[in-house]
Amino acid sequence: MSVTETAVENVATERMLSAQSRTRLVNIAIPLGTAVALLLIWQIGVRVFEVPIYIAPAPTDVLHVFQTDFALLLRNFWPTFLESLAGFFIGNMAAILIAVAFVHSRLVERAFFPIAVFINTIPILAIAPILVLIFGPGMTAKVVIAALICFFPTLVNMVRGLQSVSPQTLELARILSASKSEVFWKIRLPSSLPFLFSALKIASTTCVIGAIVGEWIGANVGLGALIIESTFNFRSPLLYATVFVSSGLSVLLFASVTIAEKLIVRW
Amino acid sequence: MAASLNRASVKFGNFTALRDISLDIEAGDFWTILGPSGCGKSTMLRLVSDLVPPASGTVEILGKTTEAARLAREFAFVFQDATLLPWRSALKNVELPLEIGRKRGINIPTGERSPRELLELVGLKGREDALPHELSGGMRQRVAIARALVCQPKLLLMDEPFGALDEMTRDHLNLQLLDIWRETGTTILFVTHSIPEAIFLGQKVLMLKANPGRVKDVVEVDLPFPREIALRDTPQFNSYCARLRALLEDC
Ligand SMILES: Nc1ncnc2c1ncn2[C@@H]1O[C@H](COP(=O)(O)OP(=O)(O)OP(=O)(O)O)[C@@H](O)[C@H]1O
Ligand SMILES: [Mg+2]
Repeated sequence: MSVTETAVENVATERMLSAQSRTRLVNIAIPLGTAVALLLIWQIGVRVFEVPIYIAPAPTDVLHVFQTDFALLLRNFWPTFLESLAGFFIGNMAAILIAVAFVHSRLVERAFFPIAVFINTIPILAIAPILVLIFGPGMTAKVVIAALICFFPTLVNMVRGLQSVSPQTLELARILSASKSEVFWKIRLPSSLPFLFSALKIASTTCVIGAIVGEWIGANVGLGALIIESTFNFRSPLLYATVFVSSGLSVLLFASVTIAEKLIVRW
Repeated sequence: MAASLNRASVKFGNFTALRDISLDIEAGDFWTILGPSGCGKSTMLRLVSDLVPPASGTVEILGKTTEAARLAREFAFVFQDATLLPWRSALKNVELPLEIGRKRGINIPTGERSPRELLELVGLKGREDALPHELSGGMRQRVAIARALVCQPKLLLMDEPFGALDEMTRDHLNLQLLDIWRETGTTILFVTHSIPEAIFLGQKVLMLKANPGRVKDVVEVDLPFPREIALRDTPQFNSYCARLRALLEDC
């Protein structure tokens, strides 16, 4: 490539970059502005129509709870965080290992895939009480529920990812006389990573739902328990604050997965 | 003899893709293969490279069975799309054949040239760390050629490697391939759809005909090496084109 060509390309990339950063700024500013406007409408609406605080607290009421009850929120945040995280790892790990078994043996797939589909069709709300009965009111039941909710999307995506290798790439492997394990480690597993990460993004938010549902049914700590408690005691500002913390947890996990994906899947 | 086929046939179920192919390919030759679409050109390369078995007849590479030749890395294949692993840099892609089998203690033949030097040979010095999606189509194909050369194969099988490239890039890579052929002395079997490309590159043009795939003719191209692009404007070149076009039309 000649020098002028490179220079022209550089200028072009720079222009593209500045245009990109401008659109990125607009992309952030528009939803942020909208959110602020909605909060303002909410605040003014609640005050103007004098809505009782237990029906709909104003944003400032919720903010106040974050100051006064921060320790309470934090004390209930950690259990849910740990349950979600443990469920995330266990559920996805199981899904990945079973997907590997499926791809290596059609017999295993034929035997277990229908069962996996069946388990997936049971609504999590229906199966959660059963699991709490089995595992007791401790953390275990919540971890199992969170793991269960992560399992199926990851299984399906991982199987697809491991099978996403093009026939020509497999022919290349055969011409190089690659062994089955070399095909797996050098070709199939890396090919599956983009599929795996899209499943992990789903799992990063659903595992929080699983943990909270588990806490609704039987727990005295955790964000789920706090949601139930503040609802029954008409402590609406605390309820709203707990909901915000829950979604904050999901966002935290989702962002971590997205960052990991950016670092690992660079192609 | 680099490869010899003796009355080799290939069947897919009841469908006969190739019938009674007999060919002797001398070591160091450059053969190009032409034929109507679907006549079995790719199948022939896949037969030679042990990807499909012969239904009858025999195929030998350097006096060995195709399987023994594959295990000894006597041949390499370049596909139409480069088939690079997208998560590996250009250099890592070229190194792939050296990694496969190393842990199992298999003796992998390595050429005199290192992967880095091979990338330089195909004109990609400085792009060693680029990922495939950062390279153009022609560059990717050159990485694939470098990868094919890394075990110093005695036979190079190429299935329309430049089919998806523009005219200019194609000309450039044709010249580069002839240089590589001269320098390495490897035997090349090159499938193409383009009559001028087949004549420009080949010492011999193998014409296949369809239904079932058979050898129609082998045309010796008596044009001097080293060949330049300007060769294409000469009357001899054009008469070869006319002759092959006529052959192809009554396939
Ligand atoms: N795996 C397969 N199973 C069944 N039929 C096949 C298979 N591979 C190829 N064929 C058939 O064999 C014939 C030859 O195919 P092949 O791919 O060798 O043609 P080709 O000459 O390379 O064509 P093209 O120029 O379009 O690449 C075709 O009719 C094709 O349908
Ligand atoms: Mg073909």
